[in-house]
Amino acid sequence: MSQEATILLIEDEPEIRRFLRTTLPAHGFRFHEVVTGRDGLTEAKARNPDLILLDLGLPDLEGNEVIRQIREWTTTPIIVLSARDQEQAKVAALDLGADDYITKPFGVNELLARIRTALRHASRTSESAESVFTLGDLKVDLGRRQVFVSGDEIHLTPIEYKLLTTLIRYAGKVLTHRQLLKEVWGPLHVEEGHYLRVYMRQLRNKLEKNPAHPRYLVTELGVGYRLRAE
Amino acid sequence: MAADLHAKWIAVYVQIPSHLRLPQTERDRFVQTLRLAEQLGAETVTLTGEDVAQEILSYARSRNATKIIVGKPLRPRWKEWLFGSVVSDLVHQSGGIDIYVITGAAGEGQPLVRRTLQSTSDTLRYVYALAGVSTATAVDWLMFPHFAAANLVMTYLIAVIVIAIRWGQGPSVLASILSVASFDFFFVPPYFTFAVSDAQYLLTFGVMLVAALVISNLAVRIRQQAELARYRERRTSVLYSMSRDLATHRGTEILAQLAAKHLRDVFDAQVAVFLADAEKRVQLQRGELLFFELEPKEAGVAQWVYDHNERAGLGTDTLPGASALYLPLACSTGPIGVIALRPKNATLLLDPEQLHLLESLVNQVALALERTRLSDEAQQAHVRAETERMRNAILSSVSHDLRTPLATITGAASSLLEGQGNLHVSDRQDLARSIYREADRLDRLLKNLLDMMRLEAGAVQLSKDWHSIDEVVGASLARLEGQLADHVVNTNLPADLPMIFVDGVLLEQVMINLVENAVKYTPTRSLIELSAWSSDREVVVEVADRGLGIPSGEESRIFDKFYRGKSAREGGVGLGLTICRGIVEAHGGRIWVETRPGGGALFRFTIPLPEKQPSVEVEQAKVG
Repeated sequence: MSQEATILLIEDEPEIRRFLRTTLPAHGFRFHEVVTGRDGLTEAKARNPDLILLDLGLPDLEGNEVIRQIREWTTTPIIVLSARDQEQAKVAALDLGADDYITKPFGVNELLARIRTALRHASRTSESAESVFTLGDLKVDLGRRQVFVSGDEIHLTPIEYKLLTTLIRYAGKVLTHRQLLKEVWGPLHVEEGHYLRVYMRQLRNKLEKNPAHPRYLVTELGVGYRLRAE
Repeated sequence: MAADLHAKWIAVYVQIPSHLRLPQTERDRFVQTLRLAEQLGAETVTLTGEDVAQEILSYARSRNATKIIVGKPLRPRWKEWLFGSVVSDLVHQSGGIDIYVITGAAGEGQPLVRRTLQSTSDTLRYVYALAGVSTATAVDWLMFPHFAAANLVMTYLIAVIVIAIRWGQGPSVLASILSVASFDFFFVPPYFTFAVSDAQYLLTFGVMLVAALVISNLAVRIRQQAELARYRERRTSVLYSMSRDLATHRGTEILAQLAAKHLRDVFDAQVAVFLADAEKRVQLQRGELLFFELEPKEAGVAQWVYDHNERAGLGTDTLPGASALYLPLACSTGPIGVIALRPKNATLLLDPEQLHLLESLVNQVALALERTRLSDEAQQAHVRAETERMRNAILSSVSHDLRTPLATITGAASSLLEGQGNLHVSDRQDLARSIYREADRLDRLLKNLLDMMRLEAGAVQLSKDWHSIDEVVGASLARLEGQLADHVVNTNLPADLPMIFVDGVLLEQVMINLVENAVKYTPTRSLIELSAWSSDREVVVEVADRGLGIPSGEESRIFDKFYRGKSAREGGVGLGLTICRGIVEAHGGRIWVETRPGGGALFRFTIPLPEKQPSVEVEQAKVG
């Protein structure tokens, strides 16, 4: 991961800008900030940043409109900064192509983790996917289609396996219900959220020591699921 | 019998003057009989008067009774023939009312006779007066050979008294004059002429006429007073029976119905009650006893009566052509509504006595309605005061709870700013940590407050979807990771729990608040257990801890807004459990707390299960 990555912040709150202006360069990022959505779009084109931090509540443009326009010409990762109780706005932003979200107020560690995950996925798209994925005692051999927990092979159904590999492909990143349903069951099933719940429960029962307190397959209620990456 | 007929019954006791001379034990028996009747569901009425049958009938008519039941007298027939009997009087004068005669022992009475009798008309009264004088003349004719003429005058006077008492002023005056005339004609020489031979007789005639007139006048007045007394008695009993009904009921609607019922019974009229609303527009009250077809052209009359606080309609100066009489329901503060009466017999309301009675009854209704309204207002004032008190409590609680973390943050941040040089690294970290912790607390506090406000405003839109309980529990535990560091959490969630159709984010909040609560009130390293089980209709979720438990008496209060248990330690606004209750109830579930056997508290809530679980295609093939 490049420590020289450029981050563009689009945010109208001066104190949040000040806090990130101090913090992000200290962690080795190049940092630019703008206040409005229009300036953000201009800056994004001019500077071609490695990652965009976007506040959803901008004075001039809807955050989702900014995402839509950016996604017209670049796949640069976008992390949305949102307030609580905006589950639907978060889901809409993610479905529009935002890569992740972080809820205000947030700590630096949480933000850095999200930034690193997003940058890693952005750089990985060009590489070939790794053939073996390991996370704690979970090991998935993607080439041989085998799943191990603490060395014991676990048998999964085709859908369970597809669900797991989809989450692995986006490890660390939140996936909305819609995105998962589309990837695993196909575009005709994007409204059938209960499919996801049933298979996620089966998957947890097979992979998690304590399915009610999962370590890997994390639920983001109202938004989607995330495979914990680290 | 009344029960068989599904009718209301009234027990009537007519007190005649001779009753007053009865021994106390006899009178007690009457009272006991009336009490018994009351316990059996009767309305009891006491009337006074000389003529028992007459009293019963006039009361029965005023209440529109359809049947009268009397006991069969147990005395010899000759006595009845000589003195008359209540039963035969009733039968003869009952008019359209059925009379049932029953024996003293319980038994089904049979209708004895049903006959219609015209009431005594005016002409008939004068005919009776004529007949009375004729009778006196006939008697005198027989006495004439044996008695002095002066004694014959007495017979006439007796006739005049009787006529005056029974048929009133006019007939008695006529009788007085006729008496003098016939005395002159038959018994004063020269006989069979009106001429008088002895001038002394002119004095006799004069005295006789004056005496007859005075006596008739006195007798009439006695009769009028008796009638007045009887009328007052009846009015009092009607008023009493209504005010007793009004006093024992509450609520505007019920009072309006009762008023309509009584007025309908007394005046044989359709009754409507209008009550004014906040904009001072009168509204027709509806109910099963309020039959009243409001005529379109009279729609404005009630409003006019209300606005002017004056009666209008039938029999008044204003709109006398209307089909009903409209009376204002006047209270101390002005009218609160209008009562309309449409009697079957319109002339009834022209009788001043009836009007007076009506006024008294309407006043009673107005008083009862005012009383209800005042008590409602007192209630509202109490609620307002309570709300005000609550708001102050909220404000003081919220401002305290917001200021405490803010004070810490301000203090710690200023120390960091000022003391750059002389603060040790670990001190700086301590200060930063407390800023972080307090900010987090502030955040949670604000979230609770906002949730509460949205729940209270009814602004919460449940975005329901299928969820599995273990997922909701898992998500809440993930959120609480930092706070759960010093506690052990065990989950006991069967794999076959049905899916629930809920707002996942809100239900997560319920779990977070319950677990947070358990963390807050239990010693570190103690066990918190989360369990769930299901029945056909609902899923029960339980959060069990080994803390101090909930003191008895506080079990339901802890769910109240801003209520903090006596053992509450650190900050919190006392909203967490209230929010839980709000969310659970919005889902149609229940939430409660129990004392856990062996110590601690058991918080449980239920979520009702929909009829059907969603269907999911089952796939069997395995990978690998």
